Amino acid sequence: MANEIWVFIERTAHGDMAGVSKELLGKARELADANGMKVGALILGAGVGDLANTAFSYGADTAYVVDDGTLAQYTTDGYVGAAAALAKKYQPALILTGASFQMRDFSAALAAELDTGVAADSTNVAIENGVVSAVRSSHGGNVINTLTFAPGRTAVVSVRKQSFPEPQASPGRSGAVVTEAMPSVPMRAKVVSVAPKQGAVNLSDAAIIVSGGRGLGSPENYYKLIPPLAEAVGGAYGASRAIVDAGWVPYEHQVGQTGKTVSPKLYMAVGISGAIQHLAGMRSSRTIVAINKDPDAPIFRVATYGVVGDANEIVPLLTEEIKKRTGK
Amino acid sequence: MHIVVCMKQVPRDNSVKINADLTINADGIEQIMNLFDEYAVEEALQWNEKLGGKVTILSIGPEDWKEQIRRALAMGATDSLLLSDPAFTKLDTFGAARVAAAAIKKLGDVDLVLCGRNSTDDETGAFAPALARLLGWAQLTYVGKVVSLESGKIVAERHLEEVVETVEASLPAVATVVKGINEPRYPSLLRIRKVAKVEIPTWSAADLGLSAADLTPALNLVNRVPPPPRPKGEVIEGKDAAEKVARLVDKLMEAQVI
Ligand SMILES: Cc1cc2nc3c(=O)[nH]c(=O)nc-3n(C[C@H](O)[C@H](O)[C@@H](O)COP(=O)(O)OP(=O)(O)OC[C@H]3O[C@@H](n4cnc5c(N)ncnc54)[C@H](O)[C@@H]3O)c2cc1C
Ligand SMILES: Cc1cc2nc3c(=O)[nH]c(=O)nc-3n(C[C@H](O)[C@H](O)[C@H](O)COP(=O)(O)OP(=O)(O)OC[C@H]3O[C@@H](n4cnc5c(N)ncnc54)[C@H](O)[C@@H]3O)c2cc1C
Repeated sequence: MANEIWVFIERTAHGDMAGVSKELLGKARELADANGMKVGALILGAGVGDLANTAFSYGADTAYVVDDGTLAQYTTDGYVGAAAALAKKYQPALILTGASFQMRDFSAALAAELDTGVAADSTNVAIENGVVSAVRSSHGGNVINTLTFAPGRTAVVSVRKQSFPEPQASPGRSGAVVTEAMPSVPMRAKVVSVAPKQGAVNLSDAAIIVSGGRGLGSPENYYKLIPPLAEAVGGAYGASRAIVDAGWVPYEHQVGQTGKTVSPKLYMAVGISGAIQHLAGMRSSRTIVAINKDPDAPIFRVATYGVVGDANEIVPLLTEEIKKRTGK
Repeated sequence: MHIVVCMKQVPRDNSVKINADLTINADGIEQIMNLFDEYAVEEALQWNEKLGGKVTILSIGPEDWKEQIRRALAMGATDSLLLSDPAFTKLDTFGAARVAAAAIKKLGDVDLVLCGRNSTDDETGAFAPALARLLGWAQLTYVGKVVSLESGKIVAERHLEEVVETVEASLPAVATVVKGINEPRYPSLLRIRKVAKVEIPTWSAADLGLSAADLTPALNLVNRVPPPPRPKGEVIEGKDAAEKVARLVDKLMEAQVI
């Protein structure tokens, strides 16, 4: 094993380095410094431009680059093929990736290709005496697992965004660029088209989420109360499965075990009982507000602030009060 | 067309306990078919109705998983296969994928494998990608629509966070499906009765030619704990709704969350 920690560099739609990659470079730097290791940035794409320098400014020592037309769009075969060839040649001890759908697809396939395992959607990673460990939750957040990788195998860890702080950039910090050719790999799938998702709501990115449930009584009432409150606090709106299944709100908005897992700084649950499958998706939110007419509703057990009362009465007052006090 | 659906049995809710040896204790919790796998079964059945062939339900798990396999048979699957062996109890996700890959190779004539996007208990979402790599097949994750399926080719929409990506891949392939791809049917009472006694073929590690080395986990579980309890919350009191609301907004502004 080489003494290196690699970070897969993800890009935003505009081609800049994604926030999660900066966070991971910061964490990799910290682990490398503590363990006498180096940080590599894994940069794949077509026309990767100045990404290597950006990676150096966030802590990378070396950029491993494959810049090739076949990598213009993400495909599992292309990206995993290029990454696996690099990893087999340079043998990093650890590869860190984000945990978006595309990265979950990539990291799992890469790990299989390297005959190792993946700690998926982790929230922490450590190296002690050469052993890599990762922390990830399972069972809807009810179980926190610590996993270690067998020594002598590259560890692959996908990391949930905002698990680590974004480091300060040091512009002008430099490093070495290692460029490799695209290996010849079978390309079994090709991307025919990419279209923006209709009504896409990226709940996982929202800093504030206001969710409603069956206690709102009807879809009309949901739309009358919840989106305006969400707008007043500058947040997105979510829903329990009960009302998604009832067709009030599209699935995109569902929070919970079989919907989205979110951890915004503020989560408001209105007319939601707090079933364990709902809690699975939101219990790690920083501040939780519950509004429910039943004082014994389980949602109050996880709430930072609970208001017992009728949503029809509370929510319009709350929306107005917030608008008034925050001047929006 | 021979479609294999990989099906995992999971606890209905995750109020599980952790045993002293770090295994999960789901005693007393009803076991169900992993929700996303219901969609995979339904998708397989719909294509089978159009194209004919076989739909095989494949599970790597203990004997009692037969209950959910039967549910899938009652939905309309034509075949089933349980991969069960005392040696499988300590599998990690990739070990499980190795077992499934060996079985699919042994079946020989499989065109498409459908899985759920992830299980709702372990939640790694790594099984299907590992399976695809082991088989050397194309991998299509987070599929929200199968646009076309014909001999040699699949076209499908991958529903990602902000975009829909249409992908064309050669068969055989492995795909994972998301909720909402279809509306899973309920098994009819008639079919439930019909499949109650169907024999479910079971293969062991030896049947698959797998050795202990093939099953060694790459990951070791070294600790498992419940999440830290949430800090104790408070109920906002007040003489009426307006007073409660005003106090709540005070708190939220003090905490700088709005
Ligand atoms: C140390 C350790 C010990 C473990 N011990 C056990 C154990 O005793 N018993 C146990 O059941 N699990 C055990 N597991 C977990 C088990 O190996 C995994 O659950 C594995 O089966 C799939 O991982 P996943 O649920 O994360 O799959 P995911 O990738 O999240 O699942 C996605 C899809 O893959 C398919 N799939 C996943 N698992 C199976 C399966 N078993 N059969 C058929 N299809 C499947 C389904 O279509 C599912 O929707 C253990 C894991 C570890 C790390
Ligand atoms: C396998 C599986 C997966 C699941 N996945 C999910 C998931 O991902 N997400 C999810 O949310 N659920 C999920 N569920 C469903 C979950 O178990 C609950 O059924 C669901 O969360 C309940 O939704 P609810 O809280 O809106 O409705 P209810 O449980 O019906 O609660 C309504 C609440 O509104 C309150 N109320 C009524 N009137 C008012 C009023 N006027 N003002 C204020 N409060 C009022 C009531 O006191 C009650 O607490 C899943 C279930 C299963 C079995």
